[in-house]
Amino acid sequence: MKNILFLIFLFVVFFAKSTFALIEIDITRGNLNPLPIAVSPLHVESKSSEILQEIKVGSEISKIIENNLLRSGLFNPLEKDSFVQKPDIAHLKPRFEDWKLIKAQALITGKVNITNDKLRIEFRLWDILAAKELMALAFTTVPNNWRRVAHIITDKIYKRLTGEEGYFDTRIIYVAEKGPKNQRIKRLAIMDQDGANTKYLTLGNELVLTPRFNPTNQMVTYMSYFRNLPRVYLLDIETGVQEVVGDFAGMTFAPRFSPDGKKIIMSFAKDGNSDIFTMDLETRVVERITEHPAIDTSPSYSPDGKYICFNSDRSGYQQIYVMRSDGSDVKRITFGQGIYGTPVWSPRGDLIAFTKMYQGKFYIGVMRTDGSGERLLTENYYQEAPSWSPNGRVLIFYRETKSGSQGEGFSATLWSIDLTGYNERLIETLTDASDPSWSSLLSK
Amino acid sequence: MNKSIFLSTIFHILIFSLSVMSFPYMLKKPIDLPPIISIELIQISDITNIPYAPKARKILEKIKKEKERVVSEQAPPKVVKKEKPDAIPLPEDVKKQKKIETKKQNPKKIETEIKQTSEFEKKELFDPNQIAALIDKSKVETAETMRKSDKLTQSQDKNFIASSLTLSEEDALKAQIFGCWSIPLGLPYNENLLVRIKLKLKQDGTVIKSEILDHARMNTPGQAFYKVLAESALRAVRLCQPLRVPTTGYERWKDLQLNFDANEMLKG
Amino acid sequence: MLLRYSLRNILLIIMAALILSACAAKTTKKIETQTTQITGDTYTGDETVKYLATGVPDRVFFATNKSVLTTASRDTLRKQAAWLRENKSINVTVEGHADERGTREYNLALGERRANAAKDYLMTYGISGNRISTISYGKERPVNSGSGPLAWSQNRRSVTVKAN
Repeated sequence: MKNILFLIFLFVVFFAKSTFALIEIDITRGNLNPLPIAVSPLHVESKSSEILQEIKVGSEISKIIENNLLRSGLFNPLEKDSFVQKPDIAHLKPRFEDWKLIKAQALITGKVNITNDKLRIEFRLWDILAAKELMALAFTTVPNNWRRVAHIITDKIYKRLTGEEGYFDTRIIYVAEKGPKNQRIKRLAIMDQDGANTKYLTLGNELVLTPRFNPTNQMVTYMSYFRNLPRVYLLDIETGVQEVVGDFAGMTFAPRFSPDGKKIIMSFAKDGNSDIFTMDLETRVVERITEHPAIDTSPSYSPDGKYICFNSDRSGYQQIYVMRSDGSDVKRITFGQGIYGTPVWSPRGDLIAFTKMYQGKFYIGVMRTDGSGERLLTENYYQEAPSWSPNGRVLIFYRETKSGSQGEGFSATLWSIDLTGYNERLIETLTDASDPSWSSLLSK
Repeated sequence: MNKSIFLSTIFHILIFSLSVMSFPYMLKKPIDLPPIISIELIQISDITNIPYAPKARKILEKIKKEKERVVSEQAPPKVVKKEKPDAIPLPEDVKKQKKIETKKQNPKKIETEIKQTSEFEKKELFDPNQIAALIDKSKVETAETMRKSDKLTQSQDKNFIASSLTLSEEDALKAQIFGCWSIPLGLPYNENLLVRIKLKLKQDGTVIKSEILDHARMNTPGQAFYKVLAESALRAVRLCQPLRVPTTGYERWKDLQLNFDANEMLKG
Repeated sequence: MLLRYSLRNILLIIMAALILSACAAKTTKKIETQTTQITGDTYTGDETVKYLATGVPDRVFFATNKSVLTTASRDTLRKQAAWLRENKSINVTVEGHADERGTREYNLALGERRANAAKDYLMTYGISGNRISTISYGKERPVNSGSGPLAWSQNRRSVTVKAN
């Protein structure tokens, strides 16, 4: 009797309190599988010129979009063979059931035509499961610019589905290499982010190294051994004009632009000692930032321009330091095992990418700006010089292979890896390549 | 001795009637409440809890190992199966127990009890922590819920008392939705990434209606990511249809709220 | 029967011992050749060395990440200084180099440091700084294209070359 009463009591207390709650279930996990997406070939309207039909612009654009999405690691473009609906009909109104059957969660359709000698490209993004249109946009451009439109479309889709800015309408500047290891010929080269449209900017008569874009992507700063005087140079990509930066009585190297594009920060070596300097491109005023008998190099600004991270061996070995942009308040941030180089501040401002050398291996990693939370993304025989994608999700860097005693088997290649550390991809280049630098978005 | 029993009885009745008065639903048919068996504590919570792996990297590692699974296979993880521990009483045992206890309690109940042969009933239990959490939420939501349930239930179903799903029921549903929800990886992880979706379900688990509770936030400037997140959550619900709901107790879960929170996954 | 077995065993043991000792001999030999060329971390051989004049080696070698001159290096540089004093019309460039196991930018700075270590030493022996220029090539111009401790040690160097 007593027991029962007690039970009733408990029961009442329990249910009185929980009775009226609507059942809530907390979903705190999901999968990180790439999103299945169908990229239908863009329909080329028959009334438009035959040229479009011939070069298959419609399917080429869809291939570029597909490739971009695939390489991001966040999407899984589905086999086109399984597509049931024709591109033109799908673009008007997709039969969602058909696309659901092949397990697509999103669909991209589009059409292309030429009106008044202008190429008009239109696309729609569909949510298959919700059976609705997520976005629709059209672009008009000169006909041979279709490749860029494909990248811009990818950026729009990427942003709509991931909530983050894309990085596909961008370019990479790098050093194209050829020849034997002890006599490498190096040229500045520029290409689209996907490896297309390679153009060479220098002839290879002198050694060139470490090119970097300015924030508007029109200028490049790099190091050249022109006339055997290793100096930092400035190159205007549009005009091809080159000029030496500053009047330094010694080697200048490791240049980078400030986030506002007005200054170049670099190392200047005098009497064997390298310190960090800036030069204002307008006023030509040179400012010393560090003064230390140790090597200070590889400076990189934080995106707000308030801080600089750099590489120094003042502790005896290469480590990463952070200071205010006037050179004050220098703090060492790396204390892990191994030595650290090439710090680069992320465009989002929250991370610093670096190269780490430990027990004969080279790592590309990221850490918070106070040095905590170090994560090594990839290990290899030799790799270095990470450069951030404009959205701060992907790093591009270069890798060199071990060579035989005569230098055989040596190669230098570009690779990208995202912050998860699992989406590592070779970026194909026409020649061997090193020192990549990622541009910001070309269209903003 | 008798005196104490008497006092205790009075006291109990007092509290009982107090609570009954303050919660009108209980007045009508308190006897129809789920049997007392739900108080039976079987401590298997650490087994039923789906192994917790907040870090995106770990999961990706798994994906990398089993590449076959990457390609659009949205089947829910196998985790649930693994979890059925040996220690759990066999279904028959539990049913027997139920029968016995319900007989003592309320003979009428037997029929309904026997119908509940769902495998979910195996692990009839509750987690004190969870209830504590529910209590807090219920305070906030009580008003709204009461209003809603007034509208929704008009027949004698009205008398039914909503309660939480059992842990195992919840786990099954969670596991299913985990498998369907592709978290947009580009979300800013320092923001509030909670999307609450209210569902109205059919008996077979198909969704009649889904509604995002903080709808206003969808179009707030600077919160574009929220829209992306909300859409991904809706896709998960649609992809998972029909939801793996308990075979019984429709009235309990015909209205269901799913709180999608991407913070843990993205922060890891 | 038993005898046969034990005989066979003895034979086997002897064979194994022979093979093992052969191995041991080989490895020690290899180490020997290496140690004659690399002391600590610094190359001490003359495989890659060229001469500015008879008996005047053109280069000195460094340990990993270091720009400190070894006793042998100082000896070489004193010879260079003597040769420069005799040939007053000759100016030189000291090229600093690093091995391939470092980041490009740091290696440029390291090469500069090595070139200047050599230059400073020459200057302490009375050679005017105006006659010596320096240039760093970092890891860009290896003398040995291989990838291994020997190649790296030969590449960590500063080389004095005639500038006119």
